[in-house]
Amino acid sequence: MNFHLIYPEFLLTGLAFLVLTLDFFLPEDRKFLLSWVSSLGMALVIVFALLLYQQGDLYQGLLIIDGYAGFFRIFFLAIGIVITLMSRDFVQSNIGNPGEYYAILIFTVLASISLASSGELLTAYVSLEVLSFGLYVLVAYDRYNPGSNEAGVKFILLGAFSSALILYGLSQTYGLIGTTRLDEIAVLLSSVEDVSIGMLLGLVLILAGIAFKLAAVPFHMWAPDVYEGAPIPITAWLSVCSKIAIVAFAIRFFTTGIFPVVNDWQPILMVLAVLTMVGGNLLALVQKNMKRLLAYSSIGHAGYLLMGLAALVAVTDEGMFNTDFSHLVSNGLIFHMIAYGVTNFAIFYCLILVYNSTGRDDIQGLAGLSSRQPMVALVMVCSLFSLAGLPVFAGFTSKFYLFNAVASQGYLLMVGVAIVASLISLYYYLTVARYLYIEKVLDESIISVSVGSKCILGVLLIFMVVGGIFPSPLMDLIQTATDSVLKVE
Amino acid sequence: MELIYFQLLAAILFCIGIYGVLARKSAVLILMSIELMLNAVNINLIGYAAFSSLGAAHKNLGQVLVIFIITIAAAELALAMAIILRLYRNKNNVNVDELDILKG
Repeated sequence: MNFHLIYPEFLLTGLAFLVLTLDFFLPEDRKFLLSWVSSLGMALVIVFALLLYQQGDLYQGLLIIDGYAGFFRIFFLAIGIVITLMSRDFVQSNIGNPGEYYAILIFTVLASISLASSGELLTAYVSLEVLSFGLYVLVAYDRYNPGSNEAGVKFILLGAFSSALILYGLSQTYGLIGTTRLDEIAVLLSSVEDVSIGMLLGLVLILAGIAFKLAAVPFHMWAPDVYEGAPIPITAWLSVCSKIAIVAFAIRFFTTGIFPVVNDWQPILMVLAVLTMVGGNLLALVQKNMKRLLAYSSIGHAGYLLMGLAALVAVTDEGMFNTDFSHLVSNGLIFHMIAYGVTNFAIFYCLILVYNSTGRDDIQGLAGLSSRQPMVALVMVCSLFSLAGLPVFAGFTSKFYLFNAVASQGYLLMVGVAIVASLISLYYYLTVARYLYIEKVLDESIISVSVGSKCILGVLLIFMVVGGIFPSPLMDLIQTATDSVLKVE
Repeated sequence: MELIYFQLLAAILFCIGIYGVLARKSAVLILMSIELMLNAVNINLIGYAAFSSLGAAHKNLGQVLVIFIITIAAAELALAMAIILRLYRNKNNVNVDELDILKG
């Protein structure tokens, strides 16, 4: 067996257990070292992954380590390092038990990587469950906080429900199509004359499960409650890592697995995308709590991602597949996910810093931040602009790229809805910006921020700006990644 | 016996499970309904595997899927019970209708 392909994953697993073990031996006042161990460890794994990078597949195609998987492996490790550094002070002062916290974070990184590299439905399902299990624990991690308990119970009940939906879809796929490997599904589906109702049921249930996990609008009820109750770094992690991992798998699933029946799933995804974009952004207008507002904003962003997924394969009037612009769409999707991830991390980090010194996470609590801590206010307002899609920032360039790609596939109506939805979103983002800079200050207390935190904020800000005005190096990387997954003929 | 009986039994159990998730108030009963849904999936898979005409590899795949699902379902149950127990310690009941701290 060519196990050398997944040495980075082995190392990552080892790192997680190392953190768990070190937790036993470190005295209470030295536990802050664990965050350094996990972030440096992940940095080392990145180095190893780059040095040992090879392509191939394991277990007859259950895990596919291609350019796409390699790209997402580095990406998930990188955001894993950022989230570890972001949660350092928060864990120390608010929730405690750092050993398990960082170890479970590393396990979720591992699960996201294997989700992006799985080429088979059961492998994807097991990775998805490992990811979700980690997130269930982390959401309920603040044990004595009733909000965190409540969020954990809601999350695990609805998460288990949606896994059951995915599994029923998987069993129908196994029984009626006859395989669970994505490439074989494509071959068998394209040889079938017309798709039976049972296969369609399976497909629809898998789509519903994915929509549940992405918090698309008819299935979004859990998201605001869970995002509000979870510890803030975990809210950031939920809104970035789990979404990106699922979309990364969905791109592979749709383009190498079920593209022959695109006529059956595309309308469903389009309806979901439109509902999610409009619904998420409209519901965000009335929110008072910052975490809840960002939850609805991330639902709106999931709508843009669903729009990209729906436009991955275009169908011409003669019923032929048109994949001329599929590259553009998948590049746009990945670029938008990265820009959204970085921006969301920046805004959540500002929220963490405010929460650490004031204990407030409502929008009122941010009033007058520009005079209480100018740096945090600046980064926060930049990330709000980036989320809204205003020029200069990464959020604008990625939205422009994604909408442009979807439009070149010919889905102008959907792009129109997306543009209207982003206009709506501008209102509530700017409301928060007004609190930061214009609204009267009620609480004059200065928010102190350490130099290390300022460095992280600076790095995120630089990435947002550079990603916005000079995206071509990143786009080249994304292009090489999608080359290996888009082989639709 | 025919395959259709297995499919029907699985579909009916799955729907009973969905009904239970929507109608029950206690978190533990919702969890039991989810277990019912997962076992419906297992019956479906076993049925397909037993009546498979696509060769031994296809038959075995179905049984392997069932073993994976049983294992994951057990882990999920343990985790959910632990989280529900935390809720019980803090609130002294597990009624999901009374989970109303978080709302917009």
